[in-house]
Order: sequence, then C-alpha cells, then structure tokens
Amino acid sequence: MATLPVDWATPEVTPTNREWFTSGTLAVQRCTSCSTLQHPPEEVCPRCGHTEFDHRVLAPIGTVYSYTIAHYPAHPDLADSVPYAVVLVSLDEAPEVRVVGNMPGIDPADLSIGLRVEPYWEERTAEDGSAVLLPQWRPAAVPR
Amino acid sequence: MHGSAVVAGVGESTYFKRGQSPQSEFQLACTAIRKAVEDAGLKLQDVDGFVSYTDRNEPVRLSAALGTGDLNFTAQSFGGGGNGAAAAVTIADAAVTAGYANCVVVYRAIAQGEFERYGQAPSTRSSRGAASFTHPYGMMTAAQICAMQTMRYMQKHGVSQDSLAEVALASNAHAQRNPRALRYGTPLTREQYHASRWIAEPFHLYDCCPENDGAAAIVLTTPERGADLQRTPVAIVAGAHGLEHLGGVGAFNEPGFPTAHYRQVERTLWSRAGVRPKDIKVAQFYENFTGPVLIAIAEMGFCEPEELNDFVANGGLQWPGGRLPINTSGGNLGEGYIHGFENVVEAIRQLRGDSTCQVDDAELCLSVSGPSFGPGSAVLFGRA
Repeated sequence: MATLPVDWATPEVTPTNREWFTSGTLAVQRCTSCSTLQHPPEEVCPRCGHTEFDHRVLAPIGTVYSYTIAHYPAHPDLADSVPYAVVLVSLDEAPEVRVVGNMPGIDPADLSIGLRVEPYWEERTAEDGSAVLLPQWRPAAVPR
Repeated sequence: MHGSAVVAGVGESTYFKRGQSPQSEFQLACTAIRKAVEDAGLKLQDVDGFVSYTDRNEPVRLSAALGTGDLNFTAQSFGGGGNGAAAAVTIADAAVTAGYANCVVVYRAIAQGEFERYGQAPSTRSSRGAASFTHPYGMMTAAQICAMQTMRYMQKHGVSQDSLAEVALASNAHAQRNPRALRYGTPLTREQYHASRWIAEPFHLYDCCPENDGAAAIVLTTPERGADLQRTPVAIVAGAHGLEHLGGVGAFNEPGFPTAHYRQVERTLWSRAGVRPKDIKVAQFYENFTGPVLIAIAEMGFCEPEELNDFVANGGLQWPGGRLPINTSGGNLGEGYIHGFENVVEAIRQLRGDSTCQVDDAELCLSVSGPSFGPGSAVLFGRA
C-alpha cells in the first residue's frame, strides 16, 4: 500500500479539535459535565447539551472495524498514491469511538476486519505553518 | 393515506454522458419542467411552486425563464445528495395538501460536465469540520464512504460480492429495454462485472453510478384539479424522510453504523401507508453504489440482512420474473445519473403503465432515494 503525499489535505486546527490533532495521543473529547465521549469532537455535548470539554487519552490499541482500498485516485494529486488503504479503527478502551486512518505498510492480503492495530503519528504542516499530528495505523506489535 | 396531492405530469430532458450536453444545466432544467407541465396539460402560468434538493437552479431564475405565475412556495430539503429526492416530493405534497400552493414543480437538474464531478474530490489542501477526520486520509468521495459502510455490512451479514453484482445487472438489463437509457445497447455480463477494475473495494467500476448531465421534473397538484387534466393522476400514498437519533454523525461514528439511514423511514413510511413490503411488486432504489441499495432493501423491510443473498440471487431484482424488480428504467446505473430523480419519474411511469419494463397490474410503486447519506427519504406512489 502506498502513502499519501506529504502535502495532501491537512486539518485546519480549531479550539474544538486542537488536542486530537496536536497532542500525539488519542485524546478524545469528553464533556466536563456528564463525561460523555464524542468523536469527532463537536461544539455541543449530544447527551447533556454542555459546551465545555476536556479530554480522555485512550490507550493506543484497537481493532480494524472496516476498511476500503482506494484504487481510483479521486484527485490528481493522488495519482501516484493508489492503491492506498483507509481503515476504521475501533478503540479498545471505548469501542464506540472509531478513528479513520491509513495503513501504508500493510499487504492487502493481511488487511481484514478484526486485525489488531496500534497508532503512530504522521506529521503534516497546516496552511498556517503549524504542525499537525495525524494518527496512522500499523499491525499491533503484540496481538491480543 | 396522508398525502393528498397527486402527480399530474412528468418530464425529462435527454440524458447525456458527462460533458456531452449541448445545453447548460439551467437550460436542461427548463426543458424538463416545460415537458412535465405540458405532459400534465397545464400551462406554465399555472405553476406557483418549486421544490428541489441540492440543486443550484434557483426558482427565481426558473420562474423568470419559464414564465410561471406568481410563486407561492419554494423549498429545498437538507442533506448532502440524492437522499433528498423523495423528501422533495413529500415537501411539495405537504405544500399542496396544506394549501400553500396549488401547482408545484419538483425537479432536479445536474450537469457534471459544467459543474463539479461527484466522483472527484475537491481541492483539499486544508480540511475542516468532520472532513478533517477523513479527507487527510484520502477518504473523500461518496464511493469511498459507501465502500467503508458496505465492507463492514458484507462482513457482518455475510453479503456476497455476487449480490452486489445483482444490483448492477438488474439496472443494466432494464436499460437494454429503454431507448432513453445511456446504457441502452451496452449489455453487462456477470463476468464483465467481476472483471472490471476496482474503484474502492468492495466496489468495482460497475458498482458505481456514472457521472451524467440531464434534468427531470414532475408536477404536483390537488386531486380535484388533477382529475380534470389530460393524464390520469398518480397518488402519493405516503412519504417519509427521517433519520435515527445520531444517524450520520461524522467519520463513521454513528451508533448504527453501517446503515443506509432507512430504519426511521421504514417505520414511518409503512405506518403511514397502511401497506407492507410484501404488498410491493416493483420499486425504484437510488443506486449511488450497489452496496447501499442492498442495505436499503433490508432496512426498508423487504428481507433480513442475512437473507439478502437469497433475495437478490439469480435475477431476483430483474423484470420480468424477479421477486422485486427494481430500477425498471435502468436507474442511475443504466438510464442516467440524474441524482435519482429519473427513478421518481420511472415510479410514475409504472403506475401509468408506461414503463419499458412494465410490471403487470402495478398498483403501488416505491421510490427510495439515495442511501447512506442522511436523512433518508422514500415515497410510495399508487394508482389514484
């Protein structure tokens, strides 16, 4: 599987998503009133309507919940990057939280739903020059 | 019966492959609307309302260009795409039923040669909102999003690749009987399906709708007025558009994932209609991609997810003889991708006896709009 270009789309960091995209951890948004986790982070808690949040750092381990292998480059900048794998990872400590990422090193024959995976962080540069840390995925070193 | 408006006329432009329309998108819209009004035996001056979904051809321009009467009602449904086709019909129905307007055009025009292509990602140097969690990973297009849903659904419920093929083969087979269809004269075999290149696994090329240019429209009015017009009116038996709580939240984090967003629509529609899926002999299911059609068939109550392989096997979706013929004009995949509004027009044709794959004695025809992107919507038409 190929990797995407280093200057490919990069998130615009906002107060709402800053912790997720800059901490280098799986820092999931948590409501300070009712402790509900929400991913992707939003501006209002879906359970209690509260608007202030902190974060819970989840353990860096999960399971592939779904995936696709993109063969068609939907943008000219990706012409040399196909095929690439996009995975959806369910995290062990909060299975309802699902995280999208790539698995650049995986052989397609080894990619399946249920695969145990762990994150690493890819650095990209946002339009304003700041560093963004994107979680990416690889097979877990110690499969459970 | 909740809705009380009737469909008095239908019209469409010629459908074109992307970029081959000699007319602009706005001109295509005007052509389809003129034909629908003419088909009804109405005058353009009778039109006093417009409803659409994700359409950029504003009623202000349409009214001026077409010479309609004064406008009493305009609206558009929310949502990202073809999920709004039936929703637009229900909004128009509500307007006519409540008396806000008397003669409402529901339309969709799309020219992917003139405007953006749905199969291409926009320039995404920077991404915002929920897209920040998907675009940086090259997860951008509807094909990729629906592939992620379908892959999990297939694994969870044991749905086979051959069942995806059945959707593509049904639409293509029906297109072979419809001279208006863009795939007319270009049959597809099961072998060609499986041999076609991957777009985003589990979708092959023939799992994916094409990019086309064209427009389609219908005209709604009151039953009283419809009774005096030149065509036998078609009734709107029931419509529904809705979404489960937390359905569609970003980056595949909705509790019901993988879903085509039809669970709420299913409950509402059949309850309002007073009939059940077993009463339906023909249906139109918007095919953005084959996988979501299968999910929608199950979520609309035609079978359990684990029964899908048997339900669609061996031409189960094909006219004649299939247990549920769908997309009898060829649909998005075979007739033309007019954002699913060609499927609404085909539902009307079935009830007028005008389809090129006419189901004998069709009394009801279900039209299910774009699956996978919420809110979902569906409308059940019937002989008046």
